[in-house]
Amino acid sequence: MEFLALDNGVLERIVSLLCFDAMSPLTLTTGFFLFAFLVFGVGYVALCRCVNLRNIYVVLFSLYFYYKLSGIYVLLLLAVALGDYLIGRRVARRRERGRGTRGWVALSVTINVAILAYFKATDFFVGVVNDLYGSGTLDWESVVVPAGVSFFVFQSIAYVVDISRGVISPLGRFTDYLFLLSFFPKMFLGPLVRAKDFISQIEARDVVVTREDFGRGITLIVGGLVKYAIIAKALGLLFVAPAFAGELGDGGLVALMAIYGFTLQIYCDFSGYSDIAVGVALIMGFRLPDNFDAPYKSATITEFWRRWHISLSSWLRDYLYISLGGNRKGRLRTYLNLFLTMLLGGLWHGVGMTFIAWGVLHGVALALHKVWLEVVPRAKRFGSEMKPLWRMVATTFTFNLVAFGWLLFTAEDMTQVGDMLHRIANNSSLAEMDALLSGSGVAMVLMVVGYAMHALPKSFSLGIQRVVTRLGFVGQLVIVVAVIWMVMQCNAMLAAESGVATGLPMYAAF
Amino acid sequence: MKRKSCTSRMLWFTLAVVVGTVGLGFIPPFELWGMSFARVDMLSDLRADIAGEDVVVEYEADIERLEQELAAMDVEPAVDVIDTLPEPIPVRYDWIVQQEPEVKRRVLRSDEVAPTGNRRVVPIEDFDTLAVTRYERFIEKLANMEDVRIAFMGDSFVEGDILTSDLRSELQMLLGGRGVGFVACDIPFATVRKSVKRTSSGWTSYSVMKPKSTPEALRDKYFVSGYLAEGRSGATTRWASTDAFETLDSCSRARVLLYSRDTSRLLVEINDTLSREFEIAGDGHVREIYVEAPIDALRVKVLEGTVLCYGASLEGGRGITVDNFSVRSNNGHAIFGTGATINRQIDEMLGYDLVVLQYGLNIMQPGQRAFSRYRDQLRDMIAYAERCFPDAAILVLGVSDRWIKNEESGEYEPIGSVDALTSYQRAAADSTHVAFWSTSEAMASYGGMPQFVANGWAAKDYTHINFAGGRRVAESLSRALRASLAELLAEREAEAARLEQEARRREMEYQMLIDRNVDAATTLLDTLTVDENEK
Repeated sequence: MEFLALDNGVLERIVSLLCFDAMSPLTLTTGFFLFAFLVFGVGYVALCRCVNLRNIYVVLFSLYFYYKLSGIYVLLLLAVALGDYLIGRRVARRRERGRGTRGWVALSVTINVAILAYFKATDFFVGVVNDLYGSGTLDWESVVVPAGVSFFVFQSIAYVVDISRGVISPLGRFTDYLFLLSFFPKMFLGPLVRAKDFISQIEARDVVVTREDFGRGITLIVGGLVKYAIIAKALGLLFVAPAFAGELGDGGLVALMAIYGFTLQIYCDFSGYSDIAVGVALIMGFRLPDNFDAPYKSATITEFWRRWHISLSSWLRDYLYISLGGNRKGRLRTYLNLFLTMLLGGLWHGVGMTFIAWGVLHGVALALHKVWLEVVPRAKRFGSEMKPLWRMVATTFTFNLVAFGWLLFTAEDMTQVGDMLHRIANNSSLAEMDALLSGSGVAMVLMVVGYAMHALPKSFSLGIQRVVTRLGFVGQLVIVVAVIWMVMQCNAMLAAESGVATGLPMYAAF
Repeated sequence: MKRKSCTSRMLWFTLAVVVGTVGLGFIPPFELWGMSFARVDMLSDLRADIAGEDVVVEYEADIERLEQELAAMDVEPAVDVIDTLPEPIPVRYDWIVQQEPEVKRRVLRSDEVAPTGNRRVVPIEDFDTLAVTRYERFIEKLANMEDVRIAFMGDSFVEGDILTSDLRSELQMLLGGRGVGFVACDIPFATVRKSVKRTSSGWTSYSVMKPKSTPEALRDKYFVSGYLAEGRSGATTRWASTDAFETLDSCSRARVLLYSRDTSRLLVEINDTLSREFEIAGDGHVREIYVEAPIDALRVKVLEGTVLCYGASLEGGRGITVDNFSVRSNNGHAIFGTGATINRQIDEMLGYDLVVLQYGLNIMQPGQRAFSRYRDQLRDMIAYAERCFPDAAILVLGVSDRWIKNEESGEYEPIGSVDALTSYQRAAADSTHVAFWSTSEAMASYGGMPQFVANGWAAKDYTHINFAGGRRVAESLSRALRASLAELLAEREAEAARLEQEARRREMEYQMLIDRNVDAATTLLDTLTVDENEK
């Protein structure tokens, strides 16, 4: 019982834990969240049947969650919510009276984009100016990007645009809109939620969680933890980061494996965290859209973007690509629009040459695929329409295109990109295999396991969901506790191995 | 269909998971298939850390922010034109009981400082590119027997004044100066230092290695010493000198370094007899209480208000002061967690001439050969130290020798990464143009780690040296410094000899010239006299 004994400074430490601390922001995978979720659960279950009180309660907790995540920027979230809520109502009223809504929509978009641009690009432009005119020309402290800012800004834009397009009618209560924007499981990394999918859930009188829902939620959380906190973290720290830093030699095979490793890492990191978010929402009785659908199984680049970060790519399609004119303005404009959409999508990840190159690569690939579809009559849009052999070839090609795209995405600068490619082309030998297997054996096993998990058919994961559902309370409990134990052991081992405490999800930077 | 709301399931399930994960703490640490599994502790955030080894923090270097912070220091606060200027708040509070006796400077001779014996000198490698390098300037100060202050930053390798106490003693015997230098006020765990006795009570102390358990307002207040002690009325610390080394007993001055945001009152007592109260006006600058008296013991007590105390420095005479700043399990990156403004302000008070960076013992893994990330971090550490201590030369110490046990044979063997890490550390020193000294080479000159263990100079873990081992490393480092010093003095002596010879030659020439002229004049005079006689 010795480890249960707490000394008497415990109250002070609880208080300091409850306050914002930039060094330990709150995410869904922290121990703090588990405790907080328990406390939250008491009130949530009690208020479950009073719609208004329940919603206000969830909003308050979400705001606290965001405060623990980003501190004072919770005020920014409130301001964005209030502004777009009011603009949304105004837009709806003008629409009813048959007057133009363009000006108000433009205002909302401008404000939101300005917020985004300020947080994303200020550092870059200050850096450029200071490089050009001498350091200190612009005296600007480096900007701290509030967590998840682009997610709530994007959702807010979508809300106003949807109202002006007549897709939805504005929400009656401010708290409901705040709920939509700040709902804590998705606060940090999405998935992005559309008002039209979510409003009915917010306003539903009764929250219903079936046994199947609960089982699916637990499966998602457990699978997400394995992907996010074990595979992605361990692979990154043990192999990908040292390999990119050149600490594992300058062989070509190592470089190639590092690229494939990062490809798996970014998928596991991002989709794992998304799955946890969807799972947590689900056991509370809310259905969030799926964000990933085994993206590396895509046979074409078009298919890839239907399976990768689905909520963002569909957002880009509906609010950027279509707003630019989509495919309604002729063939050339279609290609240009695709290209521009992906370029801006790339820029959103960060202002820099590597991200631009990444956006250009995907933009060009998407446009070329469109051309290919029109020129070659037998070409298919999706792998499911292809013959097996052809599908395999196409999937391999697409996978490599995406993987080398990630090289652009993660490289520090273009020099490193060139260096890695040079190594792969000129310095590969099978002799490296031995060193890889002996030096980075664990990482190689993780890669095999990770890709194997990804390759399993969808029916398999549905089967697992059914099994977990049937396990019942005790079985599910054992699985969850066991996985948490594994995650904590993994953290301890990684900390001992690399001297680095495990940090935030990679996508937290965007 | 039965519409059953089962959100309560979520609550019970979460409760069960919480109970279950907390219960995981009952599983003791164990080993399986060659992997060791730790005890997991869900409540760790609620517990004060006792051992201090379990929390890993990694600070990021932010040189840009550092520059801004330091630039802001230099800007004078705008003062409106008013009739009477406000009384400036003092940074230093003096208490002169008995003035220090003036120490006469003497001229050092190269033969008295040159390293003796025939053990190989492991040289200090100076990578500076200036005409007169910063390291040479430091050696010049030693040669002129000026006041010289050395900050020795390191990890557990030098904890308890291992190595530094011998280095200090050697240099003070040779070049003057007394006292143990800086000693922290209170630290969160127990340590023993035989070079000083410290008793403290009533403080709440924090470590830079644990930023999470440090209150937010104090996080930028760390000095490179790495520890802060916050005290309210009643908190007290007594530092007493020991006679463990010849130059430590009885000092002639003491400096207490503290920070008092709001007005506070302190009692300072020397030798448990004389005491004086100081009222410290509230200000955001680090403050110093400067005492000049023959001091055996110094006590500080907070009477009123809240005071952050860094520690006290016991020193004396003209010469060398060596401050030991060891922070356990610090790989050096903790310097990024210290306050640039605080470091600079204290540097302005104490005036550091040499900053030694001794790190790296904890980052080696068996067989690891590449340390490029650590090299880059080390460069940032050097840059950070340079900006905080702008007048100091910087000396990077290479990692010390370390052996590990081969699990199969049970024998100890070299960890295999000492040379690699040393060369990465040397590369960092090279690219930042600072000085470097290889600790492992110095240890090799005594036979390496096995010999240290065999002689009882190092612990059986083949990693940590003890006081006896520290004496050998200190001796080696001091020999390296003495070699540089002797070289400079020999140059000076040669120059002086050359000048003297030159002067003597000139004098001789002059004499010859005079002699020749006198001869000529005499001849002329003779001729004239003869002429006259002939008339």
